[in-house]
Amino acid sequence: MNRPPATRLLALFAMMAFAFGAISVRLVVLQVGQARELKDRALDQRVRTTELPAQRGQILDRDGARLALSTPASDVYADPRLVLDPWASAIKLAPLLHVDAASLADSMSGDGSFVYLAREVSSSVAERIGELSLPGVGLLDTSRRSYPAGSVASQVLGFVGTDGVGLAGLEFGYQGVLAGTPGERTHELGPSGQTIVGGVDVEVPPIAGSSVVTTIDRDLQYQVQQALQDAVEAQHARGGTVIVMDPRTSQVLSMASYPSFDPNAFGDSPSGTYRNRAVTDAFEPGSTNKVITAAAAIQEKAVPLGLQLEVPWTMHIGDYVIHDSDPHAVMRMTLGDIVAESSNIGAVMVADRLGSAALATYLSRFGLGHATGIGFPGESNGIMLPLDQWNDTSLATMAYGQGIAATPLQMASVYATIANGGRWVQPSLVRGTIDPHGDFVPASTPQTRRVVSAATASMVTRMLSYAVEFGTGTNAQIPGYQVAGKTGTARIPLPDGSGYVEGQYIASFIGYLPAGDPKVVVAAILDRPSAGYGGLAAAPLFRRVALAAITRLGIAPAERVSLPPHAQPLG
Amino acid sequence: MVFGIVVVNVLLAQTSFRITSAEQRLEELSQEHLELASEQASLSAPGRIAAWASRHGMRLPDDIRILHTSGGRQADPAGTDPSSANAAAGWSSP
Repeated sequence: MNRPPATRLLALFAMMAFAFGAISVRLVVLQVGQARELKDRALDQRVRTTELPAQRGQILDRDGARLALSTPASDVYADPRLVLDPWASAIKLAPLLHVDAASLADSMSGDGSFVYLAREVSSSVAERIGELSLPGVGLLDTSRRSYPAGSVASQVLGFVGTDGVGLAGLEFGYQGVLAGTPGERTHELGPSGQTIVGGVDVEVPPIAGSSVVTTIDRDLQYQVQQALQDAVEAQHARGGTVIVMDPRTSQVLSMASYPSFDPNAFGDSPSGTYRNRAVTDAFEPGSTNKVITAAAAIQEKAVPLGLQLEVPWTMHIGDYVIHDSDPHAVMRMTLGDIVAESSNIGAVMVADRLGSAALATYLSRFGLGHATGIGFPGESNGIMLPLDQWNDTSLATMAYGQGIAATPLQMASVYATIANGGRWVQPSLVRGTIDPHGDFVPASTPQTRRVVSAATASMVTRMLSYAVEFGTGTNAQIPGYQVAGKTGTARIPLPDGSGYVEGQYIASFIGYLPAGDPKVVVAAILDRPSAGYGGLAAAPLFRRVALAAITRLGIAPAERVSLPPHAQPLG
Repeated sequence: MVFGIVVVNVLLAQTSFRITSAEQRLEELSQEHLELASEQASLSAPGRIAAWASRHGMRLPDDIRILHTSGGRQADPAGTDPSSANAAAGWSSP
């Protein structure tokens, strides 16, 4: 038997030793030198972190009725690479998703690896889709924002986008409160996507958003919106706004603008309908602003209450001629008569005695020219020139509410101040929030300031009651209740600022009741109604809304206030 | 010793399964609660109730009447004769 040469054995041994040595070195490099890096890379391939969405908070009315809430839903997607028969799948999905089968088949025949077939479908529909077990079609958990009362308070509530972020209204303004904090789950998955038992599995639970409790009364809001819609349609107006407030707290019980929209399908309505015009749009208030002129004159004792001014029907101010709404002979009018009959010339004569500085001060104290701070996104300041920019006609026109612009909320707040005994209270739309544990957290205390004395406010109330009983506001009368209020018929400035629209007006009526113990303030405003005047177009709307408020809020009549001294009933 | 460890592990596993099952049930009930809340809110929406009432011939009153129970008076809708309205309603003014 031949034995291999020793040199060959030696060579073989050397090769094997070298190979083992190389393997050993490589093992040391992998297991010691690169161990941490490789371990991390392996873990990265197995571990997945998924976001756990937080439950969005609800929006409630003042009594806890749900105005907006999120319910579980699913997004339906497809991976076209894995879809075996797009048409067969599309035909099964179409009736469930209420989408055309051809477009579904088209989506599932694309080149990509992911396409949404439907967003935010209900749990029941998602369940039925899951039961179909269609290859390449999957479901992603999400939530759907719904507004059970439809268009009720839609401009106040706003809406959220498909990504769950608030885009308008309180949904936008309180995004940080409602959204909550998303959580996350980190876990190890096998090659086929199943969880590896005993592997990494860490879950940080999401923190649900807080719910927002508004000051809105859902049922009253509905009635207000119906009344507003009826008035706009009957008057062939371009639109309108109504605000109902509690004058003691300035909490907004109802805030409506028309045209409106359904936030469940906001894409179906023009974007202009999304605006909460009561807060974001300013208008020249017209004669409703005379209440500030009158209050300032009483507070400053600029005009004795019994003094009868000789009021013509026209007056020259600089190069301009201003006039009352209807021609009349020279009339002897007290301040109460001027308010009741809504005399522009009378208001100018009162403002002349008051002076520009004093009028500017009271306009500002009543809140004109700066936002109320109600906490609604996009609130307008209104427009009021600083005193040093007033021209020859500013004092005159502002005395009767032209040449100045205010939001409906600012004007409602003016009347709430008078109804509240001369103390301005910052308006509010939100009572507080309910945190995820169910604890109510009240909103911050609203700012307050005294604007005029209680005696002055009381006298203005008597004048406003006189205006409703014998003046321009008789259409706002409600049997059994004494109403205090004022009409407004304001000219509309042209967009280029060169003058005013001819023959068209903003008609308004703002008032409160019962005059002796005010429980509710109502501002009713119509944009270009066919009846023109505030007393004809807006006062009936005020009346209908006030009736709804009386029955809904259970407002009882109060003692009547007396008419202002030396008033001359003209009705 | 080994048998004891096995028993403890089995019990732990059973408890773990029960907890997982309970958590799933809790999740399902939470979702059901939200869906029921949504349904309740839709059913109590004033628009739905008003439409239902309208279909059944109901309508809002055109005016209001204040009834004073003692020593008071009754305010009637504008244009009504208070005495006849009181009599029709079975009320008498003091």
